Amino acid sequence: MKFAYYPGCSARSTCAELNEATHRVAAKLGLELTQLESATCTGARELRAIDPVGFYTLNVRILALAERAGLPLMTICNTCTLNVLDAHAAFVEDEHLADDINVRLAEEELHYSGRTRISHFLWVLYENIGIERLRALVTRPLTGLTVAAFYGCHITRPPQRYGFVDSRNNVALEKLAEVLGCRPIDYSGRTECCGFHTAAHDERVAIKLTGQHIKSARSNGAATMVTPCPLCHTVLDSFQKEIERDLGENLDMPVLHLPQLVGLALGLTSEELRLDRHMVKTQAIASLIGA
Amino acid sequence: MSLDIDARRLGQAERHDSLSARNTRLAVGDMISVRLRRFDPAAGGAAFQDFQVPYRKWMRVLDVLNWIAENVATDLAYRWFCGSKMCGTCAVRMNGREVLACWEAVEPTMTIEPLRNLPVIRDLLVDRAPFDQKLAELEPWLERPASYPGFPEPLSHKDMKNASKALDCIACLACYSACPVIGLGDLTDFAGPAPLVQLGQTALDPRNDAAKVARSLERTGIFNCVSCYKCEEVCPASIPIVTRVIEPLKAKAAALRPAMATHSRALRAIVAMRGRVDPGALMLRVQGLRALANLSRIMRLLLRSKIDPIKTFLKRKTPATGAAARLLGRGERL
Repeated sequence: MKFAYYPGCSARSTCAELNEATHRVAAKLGLELTQLESATCTGARELRAIDPVGFYTLNVRILALAERAGLPLMTICNTCTLNVLDAHAAFVEDEHLADDINVRLAEEELHYSGRTRISHFLWVLYENIGIERLRALVTRPLTGLTVAAFYGCHITRPPQRYGFVDSRNNVALEKLAEVLGCRPIDYSGRTECCGFHTAAHDERVAIKLTGQHIKSARSNGAATMVTPCPLCHTVLDSFQKEIERDLGENLDMPVLHLPQLVGLALGLTSEELRLDRHMVKTQAIASLIGA
Repeated sequence: MSLDIDARRLGQAERHDSLSARNTRLAVGDMISVRLRRFDPAAGGAAFQDFQVPYRKWMRVLDVLNWIAENVATDLAYRWFCGSKMCGTCAVRMNGREVLACWEAVEPTMTIEPLRNLPVIRDLLVDRAPFDQKLAELEPWLERPASYPGFPEPLSHKDMKNASKALDCIACLACYSACPVIGLGDLTDFAGPAPLVQLGQTALDPRNDAAKVARSLERTGIFNCVSCYKCEEVCPASIPIVTRVIEPLKAKAAALRPAMATHSRALRAIVAMRGRVDPGALMLRVQGLRALANLSRIMRLLLRSKIDPIKTFLKRKTPATGAAARLLGRGERL
């Protein structure tokens, strides 16, 4: 199974461990990834607000790169995923926009015809690997590991993209955690917002919001959190010291990227999955599952 | 190869995540367990009160409230008027989610509470004054300094495409209750989704005076929106609040008052120059020297190689640089 793979900016910088873990896990799963090296940023939330045409152009270019390779696109960041999904939808709905973008793309002999299938790594596990096959590949069941799934917003909202009346009804991460042998816990933060998108100019919102989520995960018995989004991970993990200071209490909550949790169950070591690059120490997880 | 499963919607079937699915969960004569949050200012604090309500076909949350008020708790305070999704007065929280009582199918077990982020007057009645006050401060009207061009005015679908979405708002304040940033109180000056949608009705109208729109936008704190889409999720009028109102308003703010959009413009400039976001460069551009003040964090980030000063300061090109520069232009200097 081959994918054009778009890691996004975060997995190439602050969350480089996510990119490494994804490549390792993909190899274990038999996924062949062609990394789109010349792909740009999808524009996060900022570009789409202040320069919609630039936003659509960069995102459609990513889809065109995948189309040229003749491969479906695999993402590992929620915000990137929603950005390419939104750009694809706008491209399909507005033929004038589509024509204008293709004129720009033609300058480097690229063309998009609207055919690229967009899939986050989480969805690839269900739709391409399959839950039964994944279960069979588990060599180190993560028995005893209580996991708080943190979805992040852009993989379960808005409703017109994912179709949930109530995004809290998403169970994709919990079902997956069970397949890996974990015990998913219920808590109030599951599908709440981490506040990442305003953190560059004011961290206080992210710190206040995410503090509540980690506290809830902790009081409901989670040994670790897991997220399919590196932006959420940045707030949950890299900001945790500031969050602890704000709350006036220790949290010590390890936070795994989704491919790291999968990788541990597939028998990869914590070194291979680069758990050492996290801000919050992950040794407790490793010793719990014997990794 | 693709298996026959849609991973994007896992949980929708088993958790009855649609109106039609919910309407099949109860049969006529079943009892609905209702837990109502009651509050009487004279008696002091709030408390939950439990009721058993017999299910009727197609029963809505409002029918349950009416049944309770008529049969058991005649002093129950709640608000409704049209009963048909138009007046925007009956929004409550049902099982932790903002809904219009007149439009929401009942669930077998329901906790019904007043909206959040507004003072409670009594039971399910909230005081709308803070919203009215915020909205008035935004001056949500049309000003036309130029002379009237005569009828019919040259307006197209394209001109009004965002304003027309905002005009679907019934001001029920479900979004205001669902917004996590509003939930943080005075931490930011964010006006919140409902006031922004109301403002968008005229601020996104091309006939409005740009200087007047700029003045209004300066009071919105709009760049504190975290883009979580909670507002869109609960909007009974299905307004794409983030994409068709807040983002177009942000675009106006960036054009009319660039200083409001420093963060967004910095990200655009960095992407135009490097192709990708360099987190160190973004922090420096947005926060200036303030970014260097938190030395312990910088050390922690360096220790885990989460930031790379060499990359940041040498402005090293990536394979994406050429395309970004060509498609976004050289990017503005800040």
